[in-house]
Amino acid sequence: MSAPIIEPGVEESLDLYAAPLEPWQVVVWNDPVNLMSYVVRVFRTYFGYSRDHATTLMLAVHHDGHAIVATGPRETMEVHAQAMHDFGLWATVRKAPQ
Amino acid sequence: MIADGVRLSLAEIEIAHLVGLIDDFTEVLVTLDDESDPAFARLTPDVYPDDAAASAEFSAATRDDLLDRRAAEAATVRRGLVASSAAEAASIPDNGLEMRDVVIRMSELDAWLRTLTALRLVIASRLGMTTDDDQRDPGDSRYAVYDWLGIRLDGVIALADDLDEGLG
Repeated sequence: MSAPIIEPGVEESLDLYAAPLEPWQVVVWNDPVNLMSYVVRVFRTYFGYSRDHATTLMLAVHHDGHAIVATGPRETMEVHAQAMHDFGLWATVRKAPQ
Repeated sequence: MIADGVRLSLAEIEIAHLVGLIDDFTEVLVTLDDESDPAFARLTPDVYPDDAAASAEFSAATRDDLLDRRAAEAATVRRGLVASSAAEAASIPDNGLEMRDVVIRMSELDAWLRTLTALRLVIASRLGMTTDDDQRDPGDSRYAVYDWLGIRLDGVIALADDLDEGLG
Protein backbone atom coordinates (compact mmCIF):
# COMPACT_ATOMS: atom_id res chain seq x y z
CA MET A 1 0.00 0.00 0.00
CA SER A 2 1.21 3.41 -0.82
CA ALA A 3 0.94 6.31 1.46
CA PRO A 4 -1.93 8.72 0.85
CA ILE A 5 -0.89 11.61 -1.27
CA ILE A 6 -2.48 14.07 1.04
CA GLU A 7 -1.57 13.46 4.60
CA PRO A 8 -4.54 13.61 6.88
CA GLY A 9 -4.27 15.94 9.75
CA VAL A 10 -2.49 18.67 7.86
CA GLU A 11 -4.34 21.81 8.64
CA GLU A 12 -5.23 24.03 5.77
CA SER A 13 -5.95 27.62 6.40
CA LEU A 14 -7.81 30.01 4.23
CA ASP A 15 -6.34 33.46 4.40
CA LEU A 16 -9.30 35.74 3.99
CA TYR A 17 -7.05 38.74 3.92
CA ALA A 18 -5.15 37.54 0.87
CA ALA A 19 -7.83 38.57 -1.60
CA PRO A 20 -10.16 41.10 -0.09
CA LEU A 21 -13.48 41.53 -1.83
CA GLU A 22 -13.47 44.99 -3.28
CA PRO A 23 -16.92 46.49 -3.22
CA TRP A 24 -18.41 47.79 -6.45
CA GLN A 25 -21.36 50.08 -6.92
CA VAL A 26 -24.30 50.46 -9.26
CA VAL A 27 -24.92 54.14 -10.00
CA VAL A 28 -28.19 55.33 -11.57
CA TRP A 29 -27.96 58.65 -13.41
CA ASN A 30 -30.60 61.30 -13.96
CA ASP A 31 -32.29 61.48 -17.35
CA PRO A 32 -35.10 63.70 -18.65
CA VAL A 33 -37.30 60.79 -19.70
CA ASN A 34 -38.04 58.46 -16.83
CA LEU A 35 -40.99 59.34 -14.62
CA MET A 36 -40.41 59.74 -10.89
CA SER A 37 -43.20 57.26 -10.13
CA TYR A 38 -41.52 54.76 -12.44
CA VAL A 39 -38.05 55.09 -10.90
CA VAL A 40 -39.50 54.60 -7.41
CA ARG A 41 -41.37 51.52 -8.59
CA VAL A 42 -38.25 50.00 -10.19
CA PHE A 43 -36.15 50.51 -7.04
CA ARG A 44 -38.98 49.15 -4.91
CA THR A 45 -39.89 46.08 -6.96
CA TYR A 46 -36.43 45.09 -8.24
CA PHE A 47 -34.29 45.71 -5.16
CA GLY A 48 -37.12 45.17 -2.66
CA TYR A 49 -36.48 48.57 -1.07
CA SER A 50 -39.20 50.20 1.03
CA ARG A 51 -41.25 52.94 -0.60
CA ASP A 52 -39.45 55.49 1.61
CA HIS A 53 -35.97 54.29 0.70
CA ALA A 54 -36.84 53.99 -2.99
CA THR A 55 -38.23 57.53 -2.93
CA THR A 56 -35.10 58.87 -1.20
CA LEU A 57 -32.91 57.25 -3.89
CA MET A 58 -35.14 58.59 -6.70
CA LEU A 59 -34.94 62.11 -5.29
CA ALA A 60 -31.15 61.82 -5.03
CA VAL A 61 -31.03 60.83 -8.72
CA HIS A 62 -33.29 63.74 -9.60
CA HIS A 63 -31.61 66.44 -7.51
CA ASP A 64 -27.97 65.30 -7.32
CA GLY A 65 -27.85 63.81 -10.82
CA HIS A 66 -27.09 60.30 -9.61
CA ALA A 67 -27.43 57.87 -6.71
CA ILE A 68 -25.69 54.68 -5.58
CA VAL A 69 -28.45 52.10 -5.58
CA ALA A 70 -26.47 48.95 -4.74
CA THR A 71 -23.03 47.94 -3.43
CA GLY A 72 -21.41 44.50 -3.56
CA PRO A 73 -19.33 42.10 -5.66
CA ARG A 74 -18.63 43.18 -9.22
CA GLU A 75 -20.52 40.33 -10.92
CA THR A 76 -23.62 41.00 -8.85
CA MET A 77 -23.45 44.70 -9.64
CA GLU A 78 -23.25 43.88 -13.36
CA VAL A 79 -26.42 41.80 -13.04
CA HIS A 80 -28.16 44.71 -11.30
CA ALA A 81 -26.97 47.20 -13.92
CA GLN A 82 -28.28 44.95 -16.68
CA ALA A 83 -31.65 44.81 -14.89
CA MET A 84 -31.69 48.61 -14.64
CA HIS A 85 -31.00 48.80 -18.40
CA ASP A 86 -33.93 46.43 -18.96
CA PHE A 87 -36.12 48.95 -17.16
CA GLY A 88 -34.68 51.77 -19.26
CA LEU A 89 -32.73 53.36 -16.43
CA TRP A 90 -29.27 54.76 -17.14
CA ALA A 91 -27.02 52.70 -14.85
CA THR A 92 -23.26 52.28 -14.64
CA VAL A 93 -20.92 50.16 -12.50
CA ARG A 94 -17.84 51.46 -10.71
CA LYS A 95 -15.41 50.42 -8.02
CA ALA A 96 -16.43 51.90 -4.69
CA PRO A 97 -14.17 54.84 -3.82
CA GLN A 98 -11.74 53.86 -1.07
CA MET B 1 -58.77 45.83 -11.17
CA ILE B 2 -59.10 42.12 -11.94
CA ALA B 3 -57.97 39.09 -9.99
CA ASP B 4 -54.51 38.73 -11.48
CA GLY B 5 -53.91 41.97 -13.30
CA VAL B 6 -55.28 45.38 -14.22
CA ARG B 7 -57.54 46.91 -16.83
CA LEU B 8 -56.19 49.85 -18.77
CA SER B 9 -58.82 51.97 -20.47
CA LEU B 10 -57.74 53.09 -23.95
CA ALA B 11 -59.62 54.54 -26.91
CA GLU B 12 -59.54 52.54 -30.14
CA ILE B 13 -57.51 55.29 -31.76
CA GLU B 14 -54.92 55.04 -28.98
CA ILE B 15 -54.68 51.29 -29.40
CA ALA B 16 -54.13 51.74 -33.14
CA HIS B 17 -51.41 54.35 -32.56
CA LEU B 18 -49.70 52.28 -29.90
CA VAL B 19 -49.65 49.21 -32.15
CA GLY B 20 -48.15 51.38 -34.90
CA LEU B 21 -45.45 52.72 -32.56
CA ILE B 22 -44.62 49.21 -31.38
CA ASP B 23 -44.24 48.06 -34.99
CA ASP B 24 -41.90 51.00 -35.65
CA PHE B 25 -39.97 50.18 -32.48
CA THR B 26 -39.62 46.51 -33.45
CA GLU B 27 -38.29 47.62 -36.83
CA VAL B 28 -35.82 49.97 -35.12
CA LEU B 29 -34.59 47.11 -32.90
CA VAL B 30 -33.86 44.95 -35.95
CA THR B 31 -31.83 47.63 -37.69
CA LEU B 32 -30.20 49.03 -34.57
CA ASP B 33 -26.50 48.27 -34.81
CA ASP B 34 -24.82 51.63 -34.89
CA GLU B 35 -23.26 52.62 -31.59
CA SER B 36 -23.34 56.27 -32.59
CA ASP B 37 -27.15 56.09 -32.80
CA PRO B 38 -28.39 57.84 -29.65
CA ALA B 39 -31.36 55.45 -29.35
CA PHE B 40 -28.99 52.48 -29.41
CA ALA B 41 -26.75 54.12 -26.81
CA ARG B 42 -29.73 54.88 -24.59
CA LEU B 43 -31.34 51.42 -24.76
CA THR B 44 -28.00 49.72 -24.05
CA PRO B 45 -25.91 52.17 -22.02
CA ASP B 46 -22.18 51.83 -21.44
CA VAL B 47 -21.81 50.11 -18.12
CA TYR B 48 -18.19 51.25 -17.57
CA PRO B 49 -18.01 54.76 -19.08
CA ASP B 50 -14.37 55.15 -17.95
CA ASP B 51 -13.20 51.75 -19.17
CA ALA B 52 -13.90 51.23 -22.86
CA ALA B 53 -12.49 47.69 -22.92
CA ALA B 54 -14.58 46.49 -19.97
CA SER B 55 -17.64 48.23 -21.41
CA ALA B 56 -17.14 46.58 -24.80
CA GLU B 57 -16.70 43.17 -23.19
CA PHE B 58 -19.86 43.62 -21.13
CA SER B 59 -21.91 44.83 -24.04
CA ALA B 60 -20.69 42.04 -26.34
CA ALA B 61 -21.89 39.54 -23.74
CA THR B 62 -25.25 41.16 -22.99
CA ARG B 63 -26.42 43.63 -25.65
CA ASP B 64 -28.09 41.20 -28.08
CA ASP B 65 -30.03 39.53 -25.27
CA LEU B 66 -31.10 42.91 -23.94
CA LEU B 67 -32.48 43.96 -27.33
CA ASP B 68 -34.11 40.53 -27.81
CA ARG B 69 -35.93 41.02 -24.52
CA ARG B 70 -37.18 44.43 -25.70
CA ALA B 71 -38.55 42.85 -28.88
CA ALA B 72 -40.19 39.96 -27.02
CA GLU B 73 -41.82 42.29 -24.50
CA ALA B 74 -43.00 44.64 -27.25
CA ALA B 75 -44.65 41.63 -28.90
CA THR B 76 -46.39 40.77 -25.60
CA VAL B 77 -47.80 44.30 -25.36
CA ARG B 78 -48.86 44.23 -29.01
CA ARG B 79 -50.77 40.98 -28.50
CA GLY B 80 -52.64 42.46 -25.53
CA LEU B 81 -53.55 45.54 -27.53
CA VAL B 82 -54.75 43.67 -30.58
CA ALA B 83 -56.79 41.25 -28.45
CA SER B 84 -58.62 44.20 -26.87
CA SER B 85 -59.40 46.02 -30.09
CA ALA B 86 -62.31 45.51 -32.45
CA ALA B 87 -60.29 47.07 -35.27
CA GLU B 88 -57.80 45.47 -37.60
CA ALA B 89 -54.27 45.77 -36.33
CA ALA B 90 -52.53 49.05 -37.13
CA SER B 91 -55.48 50.42 -39.08
CA ILE B 92 -57.15 53.66 -38.09
CA PRO B 93 -60.53 52.53 -36.78
CA ASP B 94 -63.85 54.15 -37.66
CA ASN B 95 -64.90 53.96 -34.02
CA GLY B 96 -61.73 55.68 -32.80
CA LEU B 97 -63.19 57.26 -29.70
CA GLU B 98 -64.81 54.12 -28.32
CA MET B 99 -63.08 53.03 -25.13
CA ARG B 100 -61.73 49.52 -24.63
CA ASP B 101 -60.48 47.74 -21.54
CA VAL B 102 -57.03 46.39 -22.23
CA VAL B 103 -56.32 43.55 -19.79
CA ILE B 104 -52.75 43.45 -18.49
CA ARG B 105 -51.96 40.29 -16.52
CA MET B 106 -49.64 40.63 -13.56
CA SER B 107 -47.06 38.54 -15.41
CA GLU B 108 -47.17 41.08 -18.26
CA LEU B 109 -46.93 44.26 -16.18
CA ASP B 110 -43.16 44.64 -16.40
CA ALA B 111 -43.29 44.05 -20.17
CA TRP B 112 -45.78 46.92 -20.43
CA LEU B 113 -43.80 49.25 -18.18
CA ARG B 114 -40.50 48.53 -19.94
CA THR B 115 -41.98 48.74 -23.44
CA LEU B 116 -43.74 52.08 -22.89
CA THR B 117 -40.52 53.36 -21.30
CA ALA B 118 -38.41 52.13 -24.22
CA LEU B 119 -40.73 53.82 -26.73
CA ARG B 120 -40.31 57.10 -24.84
CA LEU B 121 -36.53 56.63 -24.68
CA VAL B 122 -36.32 56.16 -28.45
CA ILE B 123 -38.52 59.19 -29.19
CA ALA B 124 -36.56 61.31 -26.68
CA SER B 125 -33.26 60.27 -28.22
CA ARG B 126 -34.57 61.09 -31.71
CA LEU B 127 -35.66 64.50 -30.42
CA GLY B 128 -32.25 65.05 -28.84
CA MET B 129 -33.64 65.41 -25.32
CA THR B 130 -30.73 65.22 -22.91
CA THR B 131 -31.57 67.38 -19.90
CA ASP B 132 -34.63 68.25 -17.83
CA ASP B 133 -34.58 71.79 -19.24
CA ASP B 134 -34.40 71.15 -22.99
CA GLN B 135 -36.32 73.64 -25.12
CA ARG B 136 -39.12 72.08 -27.16
CA ASP B 137 -40.03 72.85 -30.74
CA PRO B 138 -43.80 73.42 -30.44
CA GLY B 139 -44.27 72.48 -34.09
CA ASP B 140 -42.83 68.99 -33.65
CA SER B 141 -45.77 66.62 -33.06
CA ARG B 142 -43.46 63.93 -31.68
CA TYR B 143 -43.51 65.81 -28.38
CA ALA B 144 -47.27 65.22 -28.21
CA VAL B 145 -46.77 61.50 -28.79
CA TYR B 146 -44.03 61.48 -26.16
CA ASP B 147 -46.27 63.24 -23.60
CA TRP B 148 -49.23 60.97 -24.37
CA LEU B 149 -47.05 57.88 -23.83
CA GLY B 150 -45.93 59.41 -20.54
CA ILE B 151 -49.53 59.88 -19.38
CA ARG B 152 -50.44 56.29 -20.29
CA LEU B 153 -47.26 54.93 -18.68
CA ASP B 154 -48.02 56.88 -15.51
CA GLY B 155 -51.50 55.30 -15.56
CA VAL B 156 -50.09 51.78 -15.82
CA ILE B 157 -47.65 52.54 -12.98
CA ALA B 158 -50.54 53.74 -10.78
CA LEU B 159 -52.56 50.60 -11.59
CA ALA B 160 -49.55 48.40 -10.85
CA ASP B 161 -48.83 50.19 -7.56
CA ASP B 162 -52.49 49.81 -6.54
CA LEU B 163 -52.31 46.12 -7.38
CA ASP B 164 -49.27 45.75 -5.07
CA GLU B 165 -51.11 47.56 -2.27
CA GLY B 166 -54.07 45.22 -2.67
CA LEU B 167 -51.80 42.22 -2.41
CA GLY B 168 -49.81 43.59 0.52
